[in-house]
Amino acid sequence: MVYFKWAFWGTIWLIVAAFFHYTLPQHDIVRIVNTYEERQDLSDWTRRFWSTPDDQSQTLENRDVQFIQAVTPEGKARVYRNEDTGWHWPPYFKFDTANLYTEANDAKSTKAQPEWYSITHYGWRNEYLSIFPNAVALKPVAGPDATIIPWLNIIILTLFFALIWAIWVRWRRFRRNRIDPMLEELEDSYDAASDAVADRRGRIGRWLGSWRSKK
Amino acid sequence: MFGLARFLIIGFVILTLIYTGVSLWSRSVRKAKLKKEWEEEVRQGDKEEFVEEGLEDYSHSFRRKLILLVYIVPALLVLLIIYLVNIN
Repeated sequence: MVYFKWAFWGTIWLIVAAFFHYTLPQHDIVRIVNTYEERQDLSDWTRRFWSTPDDQSQTLENRDVQFIQAVTPEGKARVYRNEDTGWHWPPYFKFDTANLYTEANDAKSTKAQPEWYSITHYGWRNEYLSIFPNAVALKPVAGPDATIIPWLNIIILTLFFALIWAIWVRWRRFRRNRIDPMLEELEDSYDAASDAVADRRGRIGRWLGSWRSKK
Repeated sequence: MFGLARFLIIGFVILTLIYTGVSLWSRSVRKAKLKKEWEEEVRQGDKEEFVEEGLEDYSHSFRRKLILLVYIVPALLVLLIIYLVNIN
């Protein structure tokens, strides 16, 4: 039972962590090397990892998607998709895809003369599922080791845990004041009932005994 | 445009649920406070009437109108995000 409880809450918290890791914005310091546009098939279950930029795209089985290619200071490849999120989840309300594409093209630099940019994105890259994080914004930074404090994530996660804590405290209080006394009462009345039954059986036994011949 | 309509309708429904919940809760808190006030300080006249009057005052108070922030704050937040993501 204890293991079951741990497994249950472990799974719940894992899902919560994955949800925030996918949805909240993250920053990468990169050098933009290229952009491209490629037709994507969107009819299988990985559809959920692509956006719904407009109404038609809800029914389209494939469409062109823009990509931004970048390289980290360590030399690792990063590829981002560039799609409107529109009015859909996650709530970035991104409508300026074409502008971001232009900015990305303007921000290209070579290895010899690198220009470093902080690219804000959400989502996951997975090579086997062919899914890409969605780039949201691009801004120049001083160098490859510029630090960016994720204020928004700090605020959102603090508020989230405050909310969870508030609910938890109230639940504990509710259980202590309402449910525990009720269970105790149930226990007491059960005890009383079984005592009464035992008592009655004793009386019937005595009555039966009165019919037996006395020795 | 359908996307926007869907967003607004779902948002409105969720916020209305929150608004109704907060309104009922706030009114019950107000009622409990009025009862306590009558028992500890007033102790004269009709208790029911005192509570009724207090709730009537509360219905027209500014404090009650503050619950409308349930609609206003998310709307402003959405506008702020749209501005920061697309224009700034």
